[in-house]
Amino acid sequence: MISCTEFIWVYSELFRFLEDRGGEETVIELWQGISQDFLQNLRDCIAEDGLKGMHRYWSHTLGEEGGRHTMTLYDDMFVIDMHECPSARLVHRGGRVKPYPKYCEHCRWLYPPLIEQFGYEVDYYILDPEKGRCRLVVRKPPGANTPDA
Amino acid sequence: MANVHKDFHGGLSYGLQFVEDRYGPEGLRDFLSGLADTVFKPLVEDLRVRGLPALRDHWQTIFELEDGDFELRMEGDTLVLDVRRCPAVSHMKEHGYAVADHYCEHTRIVNEAVCQAAGYACSVEYDQEAGRCVQRFWRAAP
Repeated sequence: MISCTEFIWVYSELFRFLEDRGGEETVIELWQGISQDFLQNLRDCIAEDGLKGMHRYWSHTLGEEGGRHTMTLYDDMFVIDMHECPSARLVHRGGRVKPYPKYCEHCRWLYPPLIEQFGYEVDYYILDPEKGRCRLVVRKPPGANTPDA
Repeated sequence: MANVHKDFHGGLSYGLQFVEDRYGPEGLRDFLSGLADTVFKPLVEDLRVRGLPALRDHWQTIFELEDGDFELRMEGDTLVLDVRRCPAVSHMKEHGYAVADHYCEHTRIVNEAVCQAAGYACSVEYDQEAGRCVQRFWRAAP
C-alpha cells in the first residue's frame, strides 16, 4: 500500500509520467477528470452551504494536510491565502522527487472550474510555487443565484 | 508526526485508473515500477543496508499512522505483513470513492520494484473487495 503520507510525491511523479507519455494535455485531462469526477465531497459542501461549505471543506482538508494558511469568509467572498502549501513543500523541499515544474497548476484546473459551476467568480493566483504561496479568491456576484442561504 | 489525509487514497486510486485506461496494464506497471527509483529510493537503500528490519519498520510506521488492522511477524527468514483491514480500501469504501479496478496491484508492483532493487523478493495475496492481503518478503537467492 502506498501510504497517504507518500501520495504527494507519487502525484508529482504521475504528472511527470503522463507528460512524458502524452504531453501536457494528458496531464490537464487528468486534472479535469479529478475536478469533474473525484471532488464530489467539495461539490456537496458547496451545494449545501455555498461559501460556508467551501470554508468547511478546506478547514477539514487543510487541517489534515497541515501547512500554514489563513481563510477568510465574508458574506459574499471566500479567500484562502496559502503561505506555505503542505503539498508544494513536500514536492519542492522534500528531496524525494525532481519537482514537476507545473505542479501547482493542478489547483487551477481542479478548483476554479468546479466552483464556477455554482455561479461564483474565481481568481486563482500562484504567487511562488517553490515556497508554496498562492491565493484563491471566490466572489459571489451581486444578484447571482448561488447556493448561499 | 506526519500529516494524515486519507482522501489521498482516493486520489491515488483515480490516478491509477486513469493510467490503466490510457496506457493499459503495462503502462501502469511502468509508472509504478519507476517509483522505486524516486519516491521509494530511501526505502530501497534502507532495505539494502538493514535488510528486513527496514521493511518491518516501514510497514509498522505506515499502518500505525493510518490505523490499519495488521500483524507483522517472521516465519523463518520471511517477513510476513498480514493486513486484516486495509486503511486505504476501507477509507475509500466508507467515503464513497471509486476503487480502481486493479487498485491492489499497485502493492504488488511497487513491492516487487523495491525488493528487486535491493536484492529481495516478495509475494502478495489480496482480496481487494474485503480490503485484506498477506505480503511476504525474503532475501532473493544470489
